[in-house]
Amino acid sequence: MVEADYLQTQVDKFVFKVKKNCYYTEDGIWVQVESGAGRVGVSDFLQQKSGDAAFVNLPELGTTLKQGQEMGSIETIKADVTINSPLSGVVQETNRELEIEPELINEDPYNEGWLVLVEMSDFESDRKNLLTAEEYFTVMKSQAEEEAKKR
Amino acid sequence: MSQKEDDKVLIIPCSGIGKAFGSVGREAMYMVVEELRPEETETVCLSLLTLGDEEAKDRVRRHPVITIDGCPKGCAEVNVESVGGRSAANFRVVDTYREHPELKVRSVLHLGEAGRKLAHFLARKVASQVDAIKMTEETIDG
Amino acid sequence: MVDLPKKKVGIIACAGEEIPEGTISRVAARMVLEELRPEDTVTLCLPLFLAGDERERAFARFYPTIAIDGCEKLCAKRATEKYSGPVSSNIVVDKLVQMRGLSPGQSRRELDETAQRAAEVVAQEIVNQVERILGKEKIVAAVPGVEETAPAGAGTACACVSGIPMTQVKIGDVSVGLVALEPIFEQFYQEGRQDGPGLDEDLLKTVKLYNYVPPSAEERYKAALLEEYEKFCRRKGG
Repeated sequence: MVEADYLQTQVDKFVFKVKKNCYYTEDGIWVQVESGAGRVGVSDFLQQKSGDAAFVNLPELGTTLKQGQEMGSIETIKADVTINSPLSGVVQETNRELEIEPELINEDPYNEGWLVLVEMSDFESDRKNLLTAEEYFTVMKSQAEEEAKKR
Repeated sequence: MSQKEDDKVLIIPCSGIGKAFGSVGREAMYMVVEELRPEETETVCLSLLTLGDEEAKDRVRRHPVITIDGCPKGCAEVNVESVGGRSAANFRVVDTYREHPELKVRSVLHLGEAGRKLAHFLARKVASQVDAIKMTEETIDG
Repeated sequence: MVDLPKKKVGIIACAGEEIPEGTISRVAARMVLEELRPEDTVTLCLPLFLAGDERERAFARFYPTIAIDGCEKLCAKRATEKYSGPVSSNIVVDKLVQMRGLSPGQSRRELDETAQRAAEVVAQEIVNQVERILGKEKIVAAVPGVEETAPAGAGTACACVSGIPMTQVKIGDVSVGLVALEPIFEQFYQEGRQDGPGLDEDLLKTVKLYNYVPPSAEERYKAALLEEYEKFCRRKGG
């Protein structure tokens, strides 16, 4: 169900949701700011495009990340998806549930399917390279329409 | 020794029409029911349970059921449980895939070599579970 | 009737595991979805009517749906009508195969040559029904084993992956899930209808095509829909 927290669109066969009050990279990685830390995950469009997750490879706790740097990957039954960090900072927590239930990424990409929590070192700079939810919604819709044409 | 219908374990895969892993689960079921444990197992149309067919409901209530699901929606398990079926075990195709990630299955209709191999690995696990169920039943009866 | 973008026809196959005709229903459905009419058709696993939520159960209200059944138990047709909505057409494989003098084969697991031929015939009949529903071609004679019902409603997108678009709306104090609200709003917006007399009435009429609205609540629904639509237009920058 779509509630007030999400933007929603339908492209060809699919319905895609974008969570409001998050920032996004163009690749579809979201950031939710939580008291100086950033929770990171993949967007609904990215998880649908990638397929059912079978393995999730996340950085170790304490790893220093730089925005744009590769931080992990999701191996689905269709493809290997590289996840580039949307933030600079240090990995504070990783979602251990994904080791047993990687499908949380598909079932609940914006909540239970989160990937890492990052202690941010320079969000003011990082934010300049991120999109608002509304901006990502527009970008995502174009990407989805391009994908639909390929099918 | 031939088994009566009453002694059989039911193997019920998901419908599998939407995902390649659904086809793998279906094939694994047939491997068990027709090759590995033909005397001890049978299947039931999942669509009959969705419909609420009384005869199908009665069968899954009276026999132990092993379900096989091809995606996180878990249709086989949910449908069996929703009609009060005796769910003895649930297998997810993705768990077998995680043990054999080189076996990528791309098509729903055409399993290919990789799909059949994956189904085979899964079928062996299901067959072992059937054996475990039968052994438990014999222990209780004996 | 709203002409929602990219009309598609829903296909629900019983995919019954116990008999060859069930497997034929599954194979024929996939042939249409993957090879014969991929642009015009969508599917949903039948058991998702129980395992899924309202988004899956809205399938047949959103898409004109063809139910493909293996046998006279008619699981696909009856379960679709029980959980979702009336079907536009029903193909019964054992009847169709018999009428055409074909054989379903011996195996429920893998189709032999005769069963494959049967699947192709069923697939072609599904295509005929798809084209009838989309209004692309007149079907002159009804094919034995095929029951036609009401012609199509509108339909747009696939439910196999995402489910029907559904939006939560506050109607008074109650939160209600409404099917197809976003595509409806989009359609009105594209038609340039952002205000004006009768807008609330027309929104309600269109929403009622896909959702049940209690007669006593219609005024509340109209007010809520108008408010939601105004928010939608503001988001679009209109």
